[in-house]
Order: sequence, then C-alpha cells, then structure tokens
Amino acid sequence: MSLLFRLLFIFADTSSSIKNCTHKFDQTAEDGRFRFFGNVDVGDTARSVPHALPVPLESIYANYTHVLFATGCTLPTLHASLPPSEYCVPALSLVHWYTQHPNTPPPPALDKVSHVSLIGNGNVSLDVARMLLTNVDVLARYDVPQTVLEVLSRSTVKHVSIIGRRGPLEAAFTMKELREMINLPEASMVPLEPDLLAPPTTELTRQQSRVLQLLQKGSKNTFGTTPKTWSLDFFRSPVGLVPPTPSSPSSQLSLSHTVVDPATQKAVPTGEVSTISTDLVVTSLGFHGEPTVRFYDPGLQHLRTLGGRIVTSNGSLVRNAYASGWASTGAKGVLASTMMNAYDVADTIIADWMDGGENANGNNAEDLLPLGASPELDEVPKEVCEGLREGLVTQYADWKRIDAEEIKRGEMLGKERERMGWSEARAFVVKMP
Amino acid sequence: MSSALRSASRHASRAQRLIPSSVTSLTPCTPVRCYHSTRATQHVQGATSSWRMNQRMVGTENSLRIANRNLWRKVSSTPRLRGFHASAVSRHMGIDRPAPGTGIKVHFENSDGTPIKTCEANEGDNILAIAHEYDIDLEGACEGSVACSTCHVILDPEIYDILPEPEDDENDMLDMAFGLTDTSRLGCQVNVTKEMDGMKCRLPAATRNMFVDGKKSSH
Repeated sequence: MSLLFRLLFIFADTSSSIKNCTHKFDQTAEDGRFRFFGNVDVGDTARSVPHALPVPLESIYANYTHVLFATGCTLPTLHASLPPSEYCVPALSLVHWYTQHPNTPPPPALDKVSHVSLIGNGNVSLDVARMLLTNVDVLARYDVPQTVLEVLSRSTVKHVSIIGRRGPLEAAFTMKELREMINLPEASMVPLEPDLLAPPTTELTRQQSRVLQLLQKGSKNTFGTTPKTWSLDFFRSPVGLVPPTPSSPSSQLSLSHTVVDPATQKAVPTGEVSTISTDLVVTSLGFHGEPTVRFYDPGLQHLRTLGGRIVTSNGSLVRNAYASGWASTGAKGVLASTMMNAYDVADTIIADWMDGGENANGNNAEDLLPLGASPELDEVPKEVCEGLREGLVTQYADWKRIDAEEIKRGEMLGKERERMGWSEARAFVVKMP
Repeated sequence: MSSALRSASRHASRAQRLIPSSVTSLTPCTPVRCYHSTRATQHVQGATSSWRMNQRMVGTENSLRIANRNLWRKVSSTPRLRGFHASAVSRHMGIDRPAPGTGIKVHFENSDGTPIKTCEANEGDNILAIAHEYDIDLEGACEGSVACSTCHVILDPEIYDILPEPEDDENDMLDMAFGLTDTSRLGCQVNVTKEMDGMKCRLPAATRNMFVDGKKSSH
C-alpha cells in the first residue's frame, strides 16, 4: 500500500486534534507493507503546490490493483458578489499563509487594515478571527512561522465582524471554537441584541441551546475594555463591495438583511440593505473539490461516489476505484464523521476484494481504469522512482527527520515548532545521510 | 471486513502464528520506538517483516496472491468482539493491568446491552485507556486531548451521578457525539474509582452510512 501525498509531509494543523492524529500515521508507517511518498501531485489537479511532482493517474493505475482517492475538498467556495481582489480574499488564502502552505499566498497587508469582515459562520471563520485577535506574543509560542508573526506584529486590526446570513441557531461553528473566541484574553465581543438570543418556541438541540447560553453570557472581557473587538453579525448577506476611493479610504460592503424561512431553513432577503465600512473582506463559505480531476461531479462539487465506490457520469461503478472523506462526501462534518466514513470505505474495499469483485461491484461495474492486474508489490510508479532519485519525493523517514528538526528549531526560538519551507526542507533531507 | 485488517494489526501475534515458523525464524525482531509495550511492537514488526519475507520465498506471483489471500481469510475468520470500526491500539496512554481479581471491574457492553468484556483497572485509570488496554473497540482519535467525541460512552445513572460534572470542553465535544444520552461521557475524561467497581460501560450505537447525499451531517 502506498500513500501518495501532495504536500511534503503529514500536515500538522494548528488544532491539537489534528496533531494527535499524526501518532496514528506513525503507527501505520511502522508497517513494512506501507509506503509514503510526499510532494507528489496525482492526476489533473489544480496544481496548487508548484514544487510537487506531477504524476499522471495512468502511472498510478499501472502499479496498483485498487485506488482510493482521499483528496479532500481543497478549493474555497467563493461568493458570487464578492470576487477575490486586493480588498477581498478567501479565508483559505489566509489559513494557507499562516500555516505556511506551499502554495504560498501573499501575506495580507494587515498594517493597512483596521476593520475586517469575515463572511461565514463556520469554524474556519472563527479560526481566522482568532489569529487576527490574539496577541502575537501568545501565537509566538506555537507553530506560527516567524514570517507570519512578523506581519501579525505590524497588524492594525481593531475589529473583526463575523457575518452570517442566518442566525445563531443555524451557525455551523462548534462550541469549542466559539468558546475560544469568547475567552480571547485581549478582545471582547459586541453584545448581541436580546431578541436574537431569545429561545425560540421550537425545540432546540443540545448544541443550539448551549450556543445561545454562551452568547447570552457574552465574552469574558466586557465589551469596550479591550483594544480589539469582534462581533457576530447575524442575518446579513453580502450583495456587493465598493473598493476604496480617495475620499473614502475604506471599502463599502453592502449587506442585505435576511430572515430564516421556517419552512426551508434558508435565508431570504427582507428587502432592506445596509452598508458598512471595512478594510478587508474575508470569505469563508466552505470548500469544494478540484473540478479538473477525473470523476469530479460539477453538481455535487466533489467526486461522484456511491457507498465509497467511484461512479461514472452514466451511473456505472468503476471497478476497484474508491473515494473517502471530503473527496467522497463533500466538505461537511467533523473529524469523527470523516473517520467513520474512512472505516466504511475500507470495509467496502476489503469486502470487494474478498469476494473477487463478483458481488459488491455489481454486474454493471466498468473496467474504466487500466488498473494493474498483477503489479510487482515492491514497484512504484516510474515518476515516483525518478523523484526519489532526484530528491523531489519525500518518504516517511524524511518527514520524521524534518519533524524533529522543526521541533528543535522551535525550541531554540522558545516555540512549539518552526516550520521549514520546501527548499529548506529539501536541502535538509538531501544533506542527511 | 476491514475488521480483518485491524484485527491483523491488533492481534499481530495471531497473524504471526499463521506464518510458517521457518519464515518467522529468519526475521530479526528489531524493537521500534514505543511508549508502552515493546513486546507488542516487536510482534507487529515481526509479523510484517515475516510477511515480506514470505513474499520473496513464494515463487510465482499467482501463488503469492493466493498465499496472501489465505492469510487474510484466516485472520478474518477469527472471532471478533464487535463488527464495527476500531483503530490500531494506541500505545500512547498505556496503563498497567492489575493482578487478576484485584482491580476495579468495568463491564463493557454493546449498544444493545450485549456484554463485550469485563476488564480490571487500577484506581485513576480512564475508560479510554482501559478500553484500549483490553482491545475494546472504542475510538480515541485525539488521544484524550478533548478535541473529538470519538470515545463517547454511556454510563448507568448511578455511576454518572457520582462523577464530577463534565468540564465545559468535554460538554462542547459531547455536543458532537452520536447517540448522545443524559448519561453520556467522554471515556478519556472518566477516571475509575473503587466506588465504581462493577460499573457498566455501554458503547453508543454504531453510526454507519451516516452520509446521505445532499444532507449535511450534523456536527
């Protein structure tokens, strides 16, 4: 079994839960039948990582009997009224910037920004807000790269407005993320209008009632006592952004007022529109798959699957091709749901294999892929072989060395980790015996 | 069926028995880094390198495939406690088993009340660590850092009531647990005491096929 990965190594997110998952990768990597190849970009992807080695799907098929796509949803969903510009960026660009993702988006000009508007009420939105509202000395203890800390230290951000087209009951963020916002040591929340927090007559889920309770209590710091503030601006949907002019140094963001239709649970405009002055709009509206890859379904915005098996556009199953996680289900659900899905698909693959593909693959399964009938178990695609020789492809042992070195460099700076960029990491790996 | 795979890694020693002893004896069991049980890791290492060795010794590709398949068949035909998911045993929160008959008894049972196993633990051990020590299929994706809800367990009311109230962070995660009940807790946050001797610990109902296209899974 080979795991081919677009990034250099297993990605350690800023959230502790993901970091802990890396232990599971370690356990898997101890198995002699498992191999890891990093910095490999398989198929017709969006090529978001410039230094990753492109490997055509056909090369993969020839060397394996089964292929599983666990490629996630890597592109940000944009807002029709808010195209990316100097004044409007997808949240993913910011996240990639502050986690030093190899697609190297430019750093935001935070020294020219005082008011930020975040569009979307998910966890990513709150993560960005937290980065912008946390003291740089606190962030410096974790794994935020020095270059990022340098930009954040010059930030003039005073207020972050988190805008959602529906209300607190529909917000997608989790209690954990909200609580971290509420407890920010140097920021305070604008109190919400009491009628927004009045419990509705309908029955609430446990999470909904706890969100309402937490919002009622408000932030730990009283509003107005902190240099930085944030607000949750519910029932607002962006309709346009007017860039700054010499007479008006901030952008003007127009927001349509909305209500939730009780029948459909969708936001519908009331007709009223208001405008706020803002310096940077950040859209955080979810993710979708890469439209150029094979088996992508433009309607679903992820790979077309049925019970984890890849399906063609005419509905037939593709023999021995599978997808799991967000690649298969779309960008939804927390860690637990993605994990359950992965187990399910693993069950499916093994079940198909055990019965020789006779039953589970169905009669209408297609052999669309020239999958290897009996590949040599020790062989890997030729591009990967060449990449290994040239030091372009990393293996699990390389990652462990890079990991240790990053932690060592971090220790010297009094922080959890100092990440290496690709060229630095490559030079480090090549230098090692 | 992936239970076969997991079963294989979990019960590596069992898998090893299926490999001819002549092959096993060729294999050096080099210890690898492990926080808890060197013995167990050696087994895993031994089993996998034996497997590779086995590959080289089998002549043709065809017979190799048959050999492999038979290996898995044998592994998968071994009895399973619970047909649902499980990850490889985490060695990161290893605990020591008390001498039989001396520990605090915890009776694990399935969501339908079927007994799984009775385990013995020391005072202060948490339910997740106990489950892992005794190969109970309880997840612990975040390894006890209260960042996920995968070690959700259901307790009897009288046990739930003697425990300290869950902290905010645990409650925040329980929000996302599947099949939440009034006596649900995260296993990693429940430390057993002598008072709890003989407690039951029920695993929540399995939540498979939870993805219905077009419907957002509840967080």
